Amino acid sequence: MPEDRTPTLRMPAWRGYPARALHFWRANLQFRTVAITVALSGLAVAVLGSYMSVSIGSNLFDSRLNQVLAESSRATNQAQDFFDSDLATADPSRTDLEFLSNTVLANIRATSTSPGGLGVAIYRSPGQQTAVTMQPSQSRGFPGEVISQELQDAVMDNTGPDRVWWQSVELSDGRPAIVVGSLLTVPNAGFYELYFVYDLGDAQETLSFVQQTLLLGGLALVLLIGAVTYIVVRLVVGPVRVAAEVSQKLAAGQLEHRIPERGEDVIATLARSFNGMADSLQEQITKLGELSRLQQRFVADVSHELRTPLTTIRLAGDVLYDQRDTFPPATGRTAELLHTQVQRFEILLADLLEVSRYDAGAVELEIEPTNLVRLVEDAVDSMRLVANEHGSDIRVVAAGGYFEVELDARRIRRILHNLLGNAIEHGEGKPIVVFVDSNEDAVAFAVRDHGIGIDTDDLTRVFDRFWRADPSRKRTIGGTGLGLAISLEDASLHRGYLEVWSEPGNGTCFRLTLPRDLKRSIRVSPIDLPPAEPTDDLEVDDA
Amino acid sequence: MNARILVVDDDTALSEMIGIVLRTEGFDPVFCADGNEALAAFQSTRPDLVLLDLMLPGKSGIEVCAEIRNESGVPIIMLTAKSDTTDVVRGLESGADDYVVKPFNPKELVARIRTRLRPTPVGSTDVLRVGDLTLDVAGHEVLRGEKKINLTPLEFELLLALASRPQQVFTREMLLEQVWGYHYKADTRLVNVHVQRLRAKIEDDPDNPKIVMTVRGVGYRAGATG
Repeated sequence: MPEDRTPTLRMPAWRGYPARALHFWRANLQFRTVAITVALSGLAVAVLGSYMSVSIGSNLFDSRLNQVLAESSRATNQAQDFFDSDLATADPSRTDLEFLSNTVLANIRATSTSPGGLGVAIYRSPGQQTAVTMQPSQSRGFPGEVISQELQDAVMDNTGPDRVWWQSVELSDGRPAIVVGSLLTVPNAGFYELYFVYDLGDAQETLSFVQQTLLLGGLALVLLIGAVTYIVVRLVVGPVRVAAEVSQKLAAGQLEHRIPERGEDVIATLARSFNGMADSLQEQITKLGELSRLQQRFVADVSHELRTPLTTIRLAGDVLYDQRDTFPPATGRTAELLHTQVQRFEILLADLLEVSRYDAGAVELEIEPTNLVRLVEDAVDSMRLVANEHGSDIRVVAAGGYFEVELDARRIRRILHNLLGNAIEHGEGKPIVVFVDSNEDAVAFAVRDHGIGIDTDDLTRVFDRFWRADPSRKRTIGGTGLGLAISLEDASLHRGYLEVWSEPGNGTCFRLTLPRDLKRSIRVSPIDLPPAEPTDDLEVDDA
Repeated sequence: MNARILVVDDDTALSEMIGIVLRTEGFDPVFCADGNEALAAFQSTRPDLVLLDLMLPGKSGIEVCAEIRNESGVPIIMLTAKSDTTDVVRGLESGADDYVVKPFNPKELVARIRTRLRPTPVGSTDVLRVGDLTLDVAGHEVLRGEKKINLTPLEFELLLALASRPQQVFTREMLLEQVWGYHYKADTRLVNVHVQRLRAKIEDDPDNPKIVMTVRGVGYRAGATG
């Protein structure tokens, strides 16, 4: 039977990365703790830093704005006063006006104290007809392009409580600045707009510096918190990891391993209690091991001590039995009884010794490659005579199991003999079918009789030692009452299962399922319980 | 002449009973109840076969077995109370040919004794060749070149069985039937242990056998004639 090969899908390597990362995340407590701490403290520091940065920034701006507005306001008043007083009397002339405006600009620049003043300009408001006009003038380097139409409109409008208007702008080189505008009334010459531009570059620099400091400080803080967490977690997780490793070793049977006890803290307490537990475990296990050894010794001794006299009795009984025809009838019958009962005693002793070996854990499998179908056929052939005496016909239906499997043939044969014996005994002369089959990871056989069956209540007890389905029933094949208990032990030694199905009046079926090799586990038995009744087709092997 | 059988067992009742059975079957039993005296008894009685209990006062049955094997290839059958412990293998490794598990019945014991005492079946040929060995079937001798190799009768029979049909692969069950006379499933460890012992005597490198070859999962066959 060729083995089915399921095609395996080859996945690209990177498909495994998320899974591996997830595994690392879940498996590494230390990494997880540090990562979470760093992430959360990073978030907190970021929020705090942003708030501080924004608040310092607006504070810096506000104070500069107030300063600038106050100065512009003063300068505007000063200029207006200058124009008013100088032009109230004098006859205006063009030269005077030019001179005046220049004087005003010079005055303003001279009195200006605020840092970052970039310049002053006087523009004539557009759309007016006056007797004389004053040429617009501006200080050198005045960035005229930053004055927006919006601000001009506001200045021209000249409504509202303030006399000055301002706007935050950006200079051509990207530095922030404030433009302040106000309206001057020059007698005879109409309205003129006075603009001041203040450079906020220094404030921006201060803010940048503060932000940079905050960023560096925040990063340093987060790293520090990460490092502290790492150390703390290491201090706590380290001993826990040691404890985990030691308990794994203990579980693996290395009973002498202990956790080093250091200090007086809670970790040391944990280590002490753990070691105490390990001590008492070791003590118990050693004690149990000693008991088990004693038990095994006892079993071996009993085995020898009982068997030697039993051998003598057996030989003597057999010698007498062979000569029973020469005895008077009563003595002859006595020899017969002696012979059969010694045999029964022998089987019982063998079974008892086998059970006590299992109890002592002193049983080892002798694994060899075995053809299960052949084993079943041999066993069935050896039982066929007994079956025929009881009127039962045994058939073997082997759908699979023709390939060799690793098993202890002696024990499996013993299970099968036992099941066949039970089937013949309780089969009421009806046909018995032995099914053999296999699948990918298991082989199985099932022995199905069509006899009286077993009550549901009794079904749970069939594997109990010395339990009998019906104590009043006549025993014909012998049996010690230990057969199924031993079979169950044999099956579990193979890491297999021995299961039973029964229906009163419809018969019983025992199924043994074994893994193909001892390292594999059984997923599903190849045979149903109870198996489907065979139809009389070619599959039936009537050998 | 009746075959003489040395029974080494400390249990006098059992020894006596075995003696009765053996006498009934036409053998000539002699007895020894102590491990320390077993070798001396063996040397003075020169038996044709030894029945040896494994658990003896004084020297253990395994030691006695090794001592007897050292000076003679006479068939040794162990009597053992343990069927599945390492003792059986240790006994076989120290040179015992076969074993009987207590309690045994008289027919079983006698059958085992008769198999070990039967003469080697003489085939059609007197001389067989296997590997670089020459088997003198009639003379019960194995020669490598001019050098004689000492084999016990059982080892000789095992080698003869393989060599007489060099093309045949023998399963352990076939060898058990042919050499040990078991007609039912028996302990295949008998074959394994004796093949190891045989190889130790006849192979140049027992780990890399050239004469008794293993056929994995089946059994053994004779190596090519060289």
